[in-house]
Amino acid sequence: MLSLLNPKAESIQRAQALQVNISAAIGLQDVLKSNLGPTGTTKMLVDGAGAIKLTKDGKVLLTEMQIQNPTASCIAKAATAQDDATGDGTTSVCLLVGELLKQAELYIREGLHPSLISDGFNLAKNEALTFLDSFKTDFEVDREVLLNVAKTSLSTKISSKVVESLAPAVVDAILTIRRPDEPIDLHMVEIMKMQNRSASDTQLIRGLLLDHGARHPDMPKQVKNAYILILNVSLEYEKSEINSGFFYSTSEQRERLVESERKFVDNKLRKIVELKKEVCERDPTANFVIINQKGIDPLSLDVLAKNGIMALRRAKRRNMERLQLACGGVAQNSVDDLNPEVLGWAGSVYERTLGEEKYTFVEDVKDPKSATILIHGPNTYTIQQIQDATRDGLRAVKNAVEDNCLIVGAGAFEVACAAHLRNKFAAKEVKGKAKMGVYAYADALLIIPKTLAANSSYDTQDAIVALQEEASEGYKVGLDLKTGMPFDPEVEGIYDNYRVIRHMLHSATVIASNLISVDQILRAGRSSLKEGPPQ
Amino acid sequence: MALRVPKASGPQLFREGYRIMQGVEDAVIRNCNAIRELSEITRTSLGPNGKNKIVVNHLQQTFLTNDAATIIRELEVIHPAAKLVVDATQQQENELGDAANFVVVFTGELLAKAENMIRMGLTPLEIAKGYEMALSHTMEVLEEICADKIETVESEKELIKAIRTCISSKQYGNEDFLSDLVAKAILTVLPKDPSKFNVDNIRVVKIMGSSLYNSQVVKGMVFPREPEGTVTRSKEAKVAVFSCPLDISQTETKGTVLLHNAQEMLDFSKGEENLIESHIKEIYDAGVRVVVTSGNVNDLVLHYLNRFEILVIRVPSKFELRRLCRVVGATPLARMGVPMPEEMGSVDVVETIEIGGDRVTVFRQVEDITRTATIVLRGATKTYLDDLERAIDDGVNIVKALVKDNRLIFGAGASDMQLCIRLISVGEKTPGIYQHAIKQYGEAFEVVPRTISENAGLDPTDVISKLYAAHHKENGESIGVDVECENDGTLDAKEAGIFDVLLAKKSAIRLATETVLTVLNVDQVVMSKPAGGPKPPGPNPHWDDD
Repeated sequence: MLSLLNPKAESIQRAQALQVNISAAIGLQDVLKSNLGPTGTTKMLVDGAGAIKLTKDGKVLLTEMQIQNPTASCIAKAATAQDDATGDGTTSVCLLVGELLKQAELYIREGLHPSLISDGFNLAKNEALTFLDSFKTDFEVDREVLLNVAKTSLSTKISSKVVESLAPAVVDAILTIRRPDEPIDLHMVEIMKMQNRSASDTQLIRGLLLDHGARHPDMPKQVKNAYILILNVSLEYEKSEINSGFFYSTSEQRERLVESERKFVDNKLRKIVELKKEVCERDPTANFVIINQKGIDPLSLDVLAKNGIMALRRAKRRNMERLQLACGGVAQNSVDDLNPEVLGWAGSVYERTLGEEKYTFVEDVKDPKSATILIHGPNTYTIQQIQDATRDGLRAVKNAVEDNCLIVGAGAFEVACAAHLRNKFAAKEVKGKAKMGVYAYADALLIIPKTLAANSSYDTQDAIVALQEEASEGYKVGLDLKTGMPFDPEVEGIYDNYRVIRHMLHSATVIASNLISVDQILRAGRSSLKEGPPQ
Repeated sequence: MALRVPKASGPQLFREGYRIMQGVEDAVIRNCNAIRELSEITRTSLGPNGKNKIVVNHLQQTFLTNDAATIIRELEVIHPAAKLVVDATQQQENELGDAANFVVVFTGELLAKAENMIRMGLTPLEIAKGYEMALSHTMEVLEEICADKIETVESEKELIKAIRTCISSKQYGNEDFLSDLVAKAILTVLPKDPSKFNVDNIRVVKIMGSSLYNSQVVKGMVFPREPEGTVTRSKEAKVAVFSCPLDISQTETKGTVLLHNAQEMLDFSKGEENLIESHIKEIYDAGVRVVVTSGNVNDLVLHYLNRFEILVIRVPSKFELRRLCRVVGATPLARMGVPMPEEMGSVDVVETIEIGGDRVTVFRQVEDITRTATIVLRGATKTYLDDLERAIDDGVNIVKALVKDNRLIFGAGASDMQLCIRLISVGEKTPGIYQHAIKQYGEAFEVVPRTISENAGLDPTDVISKLYAAHHKENGESIGVDVECENDGTLDAKEAGIFDVLLAKKSAIRLATETVLTVLNVDQVVMSKPAGGPKPPGPNPHWDDD
């Protein structure tokens, strides 16, 4: 036979290609299946260096595992894109894609052309999105509801005990940094980690947490009513740019030169100390704190300590910006025009030591535009797990606030939408063979409630039938994972984000119809004569 | 990453070299086995008659100890699930200092029971749920069975009550002497507000030779080095502490001496000497008789210090210097010069004495309460001294826990027996499938008295049945295992004065249970190919040893 391709190229065609895609998608679905929902189990990942990671988060799994199969990595990329855009729903996308292909396979085996299925998928997707709009629940920003949103999102990632303490922290963080009519900037919530105590001690700090302490043993470790000077001035001796040297012939001369070298820095210090005195004269209970982005040398620290000033050096640039937002005040690039107006204020500034690490808390600020979530955990993998969850929780709350609407969770939407597509849309509005595609789509949606039931060790068929019966009477019903019976998710406060579901429907459909339309997979052979590494 | 066209038969999703263990049989049971094996290693070290182990770590350091935290740390466990236990143990050791072995043994036992239940047909999820319920019951029961309280940590007798059990599990036979030593050291440094007690204030100096019974507590600090100069003793002296080298001050910018003729050179040297002399004289005039520095001492400076009979000693560690500052009440100075009166500290006695073959310098305070106490340990070998130090560390750490919560429970396995019985009865009252897990959780506590009696050479089955009988009687809740086996293998922990600290036990149970829950919830282990190349260096555990 005539060979058109490079002899080293690999290729598979038509039915075989489709088969490969479908089985890869189902394979990925199998891997991720057990993670879905609050009753999903965790996976333990061990990386090349032997470090452990425990996770239930689909996004983490997909990024940590190096996926080699082209189809699977294609789905994985779409799913991680879902996470980048909405912060949730990664596992659902993978499940849905797998299930769409699985359902499509049935019809293709019966001789239906893949492109017709693809058409049906698109029709169904559009209808599903319209249905989603009619299904959503509008809401006003309300702490209780947001708390439920956060809990729904978090409980799919971490254990319920930790959720109890993390959910309020996440919601309050968002409410703290939210400004009316402005988009929420999640960079204003800093996530800090401390390895001590247990995971349920995780807390929200309305203010700032710096991961270093005052550098001088005599400086106050804890001050109240603190005026904060935010500096970007080096309080160290700086060498001149040009090559320079001193010439002296007696040791007295040298002593004088040593003195004069210090003078430059001492002058800066004097100005700062004067400002401190001025502030403290006006308000005798006031304390003075310097947070400097540049360095402070030991001699200067000494001077500051003698004047009862708490000084932190080499603060991170990011923290400097957030410090101004949290405490007010203006960062100073020189000490020439210091006045009390440029100072920020915090009710309490204190230092905590934890093993070898020092942390400085800046708390009780007047109008925080920035907040910190402090994660505690007994070991690195717990901390990592909570950190990933916190990130998703913040996104979920932010989405809810920005969307102004929610979708009831626990599989309620999927059940209702499947029923709508099958009974109303496909039966009455779709003409021709594309109908089959819509049927496949409707059946595929049910994978979400099915998996939820399977993970909680309930009978899948029982659960689905019960849900469908209730839903056909026009109720919004989800699956109660405690009993395996249908219930109203609104009562329990289980809400998903509108945009998560919207995005999920979009990306899953696009990927699935792309994969169905593939009829050949090719891998270019190497043209060079050298043998590649054995694979 | 090169994408390859896969074969149609069964997709291979991951890169080659990945190992995936999935499902109950492959993941959960295997993890259980691994952890049980680990707990078998440390099990023989539990309790007063626990055996010592010799561990040689990858740096060829030898450890001779029965301290589970140390054994496990140095073993370099690589199994991912077993690593979780290692983490839990370290956490317990860092925060409470005691009951680290209990964490390992209890985790192992819980998982062994879980494995049985899985084989019986329960799902890991159900077991986890049951264990979780059992944990909350255990915490309640622990509150109820609290046996005694340390009324005040300021009394030596009360302190010893708590420290003795902890030390006896590490250094059985020497516990009376050691707990005495620890209690004495603690009382010398205990601040007025005991909650501010800092374990850092008790130092241990190990000097080889002689016997343990020549160990002593020194009020103040001991440095294993001699003073730099000729002066080796000083009494009631003012102390100046410098965090800089004692040298001629230098400019930051490069300096060059400009000399025109020989006379100028002579004058320069002379001037330098005069300058130093005047500096030292000023220091002397201020009343300073002892100088401490973290840097080097210039020969010329040393000469004048000797001439003015000022004792000078180098303390190179920044942390030791800071501790010394706390002891003498001085402020470290960053520049060589005369200290202000408030920057000077004072010390009652500084002397150089010979202990064994080593000459050490002692900074001693005469008054009752000092800020730092040092336990000078004597012993025949280095490994023995290291082990003694670990026992002392554990004893000192117990006080930290006591300050937070002063309640005690019966030791010698008595409280474990009580928990066992009470949890089984709770399990029997619980409806539904979870009762199995709760009952098994309770039975897991049996492992403590069983192991103690096994290690002591008693017949465990016999002892356990006697304990069951005793605990079902009234006032039997204090009956525990008698490792001396004087009567029938049981004793009254109350009379024998064997108490555990409630807080340590609570934390150990919680950590062990949480680890078990984590292991039970893992249904899949994905291991990537171990990366080649050198391993990343871990944190040096001895960073503060000097």
